[in-house]
Amino acid sequence: MSIRLQLLIVALTTLVLPWAGCQYARELETALRDSQEKSLLASAGTIANALSAQPQRVFRDPDDAAAFDLKSADLYVYPLASLPLLDGYRDDWGIAADPTPLPTTVGYGARVQAGSTNRYLYLYIEVDDPRFEAEPANVHPDRDRFDRVDLTLQRADGAPASYFFGTNAPGLIAAQSVVTGDDGRSRVVEEPRIQAFWLQTRAGYHVEARIPLSFVGTRLWIQAADGSGAGKAGMSAEDAPQGGRLFFTMAGLDELLGTFIREGTRATVIDANALKLGTAGNLGASSPGEPDAAESWYRHFMAVDTSSFPVHASKPDRQDGHSVSAALAGSPHAEWVRSTASPELLLTAAAPLVIDGRTRGAVFLEQAGDQLLSLRDRAVTHLFNLTLLATASSVIIMFGFATWISLRIGRLRAAADSAVSSDGKIRLDMPESGSGDEIGALARGFERLLARLNEHTQYLRTLGGKLSHELRTPLTIVRSSLDNLESEDLREDQRRFVTRAREGTLRLQSILSALGAAARVEESIKQAERMSFDLRDVLLSALAAYRDGFPQARFALETPLDPCFIRGAPDLLVQLLDKLIENAVDFCPPLRTITVRLERALGSYVLQVENEGPPIPPALHGRLFESLFEQRQGRDDKPHFGLGLYIVRLVAEFHGGTAVAANRPDGDGAIFTVQLPLI
Amino acid sequence: MKKQIAIVEDEPALRENYAAALARHGYAIKTYGNRQNAMQAFHLRLPDLAIIDIALEDEAEGGFDLCRDLRALSAELPIIFLTARDSELDAVSGLRLGADDFLTKDVSLPHLAARVAALFRRIDALRRPDNAAEIVRRGALSIDAEKMQTTWNGAPVTLSLTEFWIVHALARNPGHVKNRQQLMDAANVVLDDNTITSHIKRMRRKFQQIDAAFDAIQTVYGMGYRWVE
Repeated sequence: MSIRLQLLIVALTTLVLPWAGCQYARELETALRDSQEKSLLASAGTIANALSAQPQRVFRDPDDAAAFDLKSADLYVYPLASLPLLDGYRDDWGIAADPTPLPTTVGYGARVQAGSTNRYLYLYIEVDDPRFEAEPANVHPDRDRFDRVDLTLQRADGAPASYFFGTNAPGLIAAQSVVTGDDGRSRVVEEPRIQAFWLQTRAGYHVEARIPLSFVGTRLWIQAADGSGAGKAGMSAEDAPQGGRLFFTMAGLDELLGTFIREGTRATVIDANALKLGTAGNLGASSPGEPDAAESWYRHFMAVDTSSFPVHASKPDRQDGHSVSAALAGSPHAEWVRSTASPELLLTAAAPLVIDGRTRGAVFLEQAGDQLLSLRDRAVTHLFNLTLLATASSVIIMFGFATWISLRIGRLRAAADSAVSSDGKIRLDMPESGSGDEIGALARGFERLLARLNEHTQYLRTLGGKLSHELRTPLTIVRSSLDNLESEDLREDQRRFVTRAREGTLRLQSILSALGAAARVEESIKQAERMSFDLRDVLLSALAAYRDGFPQARFALETPLDPCFIRGAPDLLVQLLDKLIENAVDFCPPLRTITVRLERALGSYVLQVENEGPPIPPALHGRLFESLFEQRQGRDDKPHFGLGLYIVRLVAEFHGGTAVAANRPDGDGAIFTVQLPLI
Repeated sequence: MKKQIAIVEDEPALRENYAAALARHGYAIKTYGNRQNAMQAFHLRLPDLAIIDIALEDEAEGGFDLCRDLRALSAELPIIFLTARDSELDAVSGLRLGADDFLTKDVSLPHLAARVAALFRRIDALRRPDNAAEIVRRGALSIDAEKMQTTWNGAPVTLSLTEFWIVHALARNPGHVKNRQQLMDAANVVLDDNTITSHIKRMRRKFQQIDAAFDAIQTVYGMGYRWVE
């Protein structure tokens, strides 16, 4: 694994920062939520206390503590924001349809819903009676049978007043009542102040009635009766003396509540039956606009799980939920709920409304949780962005640093690899040796090592020449002594020893000559003069000499047909050729061919000496041309010091060229190639 | 009277060996180990021939200085340089100190004796009146084998003894290639190839000083040299 990758992985550990940020944000959210709950609870408690000090502003009848009872036809009166049109439709009431079924024993379906403005009580009565039976003319309500709705209102003075609705033609009608005249006869009169609209539909009929509040007390009785048969729903004053109670919201309560609450909060006062008595405020627009992709991503990534929150579906007339039931039981409670409408997340808190030591209702507050969420999101997004930025920049910096380090090491490695070139030259300067860190120290270590190696190599390289020179004088002493000895009168056996000694000195001489060969060539290269000469001519004459000199080898020559002029030293070039040919002859089996080839190439001449025979072992490639490199198994008694091909290289380099060795493509022999530039 | 030869050589064994060999040939030998001793003696009496090593004790080129001083004492005294290094041959030529011959120490004692004898013969021949019998003429070149003198277009070419024998060997059979061994045999020396090459180079330079267009000594690569008319 590269250093770069390793450091990159290390850098990735900084990702723990955003993770820690997430954890922190969650804790933050929990704490915020906690404090929001507390504050909302406190608000609810404050409002409840304030309201309990003035119960007459909350309850129409502060002393009536009886519970709302659907079975006894208690009716909740919705506050209406606008005046509905009397048209038999409820659509313009502006509230959700929530009719209360009228009690029936015979399965006659009828439902009623009540609403009020500050002047009128509106009743909306639906009766499932598809067959219309008209009210006869000169009706006798006690006798005649027709589709009718009886309405009995308890007036302000406590006496009941009975009316009925019936018509011979659906449309706008007035309530009718039976009055007893001064003559003791009863007759039917219209009460024009109680208006209604009779709408006949396929499923039945609707009666939308408008009653001035001055007619309305706290109780009423409603009964719908079928014109034919026994279908009947609701109750009459005779059947149920208690009647149904009307639950009004208090006018002015909404305004009163409004003074307590802030923007974004909705307050609802409920009575002990959880019926809404008054409400104020709104939850405000949902979160401003759609959350952008990044925020929702963060939210998805780490939001507190809200799916376990109870779903809060508010009913038009009543409030429910855990907090409501807890508050009505006497203890304040706060709860997070999910809403089906926007905003999705709500914080609800309810505090009991205690009057005279009894829990008479509760103050219920709602607040959008999205505010909190967006607050949290902003903080977290910020935090997240910051930590991500920090992580990204640290990763980038680490990566860059690692790249830099690994580049430096790579450069050092490349330099170390190529410090000893294939021709044995040693490059002494290392990159990075100027830097003060460990890599610089390593580079300087390399430099010291290479300097020593270079000294050693130089010593070895010059050793041959030095030895050859230093041994020459003692050798001359021996030889001249032998010369003198030979001129003495020697016995035959003595002369034999002298001859042997002379042979020894001759061999020693040739060894010294071979040892000093490279030094001599180096010397003559220093003094060589360049001239223009015909390479082809040199090859032709030299090859003639080799044919005489090495009768055991066959020579083939391939040259261009015209002269090949280059600038250089022909004597040195002949020495180069000598060495190549000697080498080829040494490795070429008898009676096999040595090919000398001269070719023109782009900007240079290519001289090749190719011999059949064993290929060059792979381990030797690239080292053959080094000084003092000798690996051959002795095949003759000539001394070899690995200087021949070194001389080839020296001469090739003197001519600005190169020398390389390769095996023949068929593996049967070797090709030595010298490239000589034209200039 | 015996001819007196001075040998200036710092290596005692070598010095004695040379002395013994030349003494056997009937010369009177004086040997010196360094330049100062030699010069003192030369001021008292000049030898008939001096053999001088180039490196003398701690003077790497003491022989050159000695040669210059000796030449100042006598213009005719034959001087032979002995060197341990091939490269010095070029230095000698560059210095043009007026040595009559220079040999590497590889030379065998019989060859040295022959070379000494040849030098004396040249001196003797120069003192005697002309006899034209031994003169070889090849175009602008004329070689007097008796006096070991060479002229080109009538101007004398100052060749060393070794060089003289090489030119002589080449010019006697113009057009024939003489390989290095043949040239060494002709010059009575044992030299390696490089030394022959540097002799040839120096000879060409000497001829070219007289005639810049000189081109008579041709290299036949890998084989040797030939004289072209």
